Amino acid sequence: MDNLGFLFAANVVVWGGIIYYVYTIRQRNRALEKDLELLKETLSKEG
Amino acid sequence: MMNPDAVEENQEEGNILVWLTGLAFLAAMVAIFIYVPTERTEGIIQRIMYFHVPSAWLSFFAFFVVFLSSILFLWKKEREWDIYAHASAEIGVIFCSLVLITGPIWARPIWGAWWVWDARLTSTLILWIIYVAYLMLRTQSDAGSMRARYAAVLGIVGFLNIPFIHFSVLWWRTFHPQPKVITNEGIGKGMDPTMLATLGISVCAFTLLYFLLMGVRVRQEKLKDEIDRLKREKIYSA
Repeated sequence: MDNLGFLFAANVVVWGGIIYYVYTIRQRNRALEKDLELLKETLSKEG
Repeated sequence: MMNPDAVEENQEEGNILVWLTGLAFLAAMVAIFIYVPTERTEGIIQRIMYFHVPSAWLSFFAFFVVFLSSILFLWKKEREWDIYAHASAEIGVIFCSLVLITGPIWARPIWGAWWVWDARLTSTLILWIIYVAYLMLRTQSDAGSMRARYAAVLGIVGFLNIPFIHFSVLWWRTFHPQPKVITNEGIGKGMDPTMLATLGISVCAFTLLYFLLMGVRVRQEKLKDEIDRLKREKIYSA
């Protein structure tokens, strides 16, 4: 692997890491929204 | 309970921060790949520095926030500080991981080895392990306030490693280069001005990204608390 390849690999790691972390945050957000909707539904049925 | 006006205001601030961060990263990419000249001895591979150093800065800053928030949590016993510490530790671990991966990628063609057990590299790895343990403690233990207290102590102790990491290259002979930004001659005296400017732009972009991620993670943790509270209320009222 020449030096350009190493530079490319480092870039992929940094951007890949950031994008993956943002993706996991988004997934957690979706799970929380789903949880909240379910809770609201249950509460409105009861009350 | 969350105030709807405050939520809307937060979203607006968040959007501004998204744009600012995006623009800062765009400027950083232009500076790294177009503006800054190629370093004479290391060649094109040296450009990894503009990702490696800002990632290190971000992780140290994030762990400093953990340290400060943990002290404030132990002192004031307010959940808010625990949320800040938890969110910041997570971001710190992500960027510390990026430091530990980009470092060897840079080292391989320059040192001829992916990894050497010198003081800077080893102490950074120890820092990463401490904060991974911190996050594991938060997910494994069930006892709410006790868990937060143990985590706060670990968050404080872990940060004490950072001055050691900084000075390790001065106290021992290491493979890792000596500091180039903060030197005995002054700030930025050990670097070419264009390189310093590029590094500055990149550090700004990463810092903005930290605040953006922190904002989202803190809001998420608060929403999670709110949902848990409603669930508890529902269980007790049933």
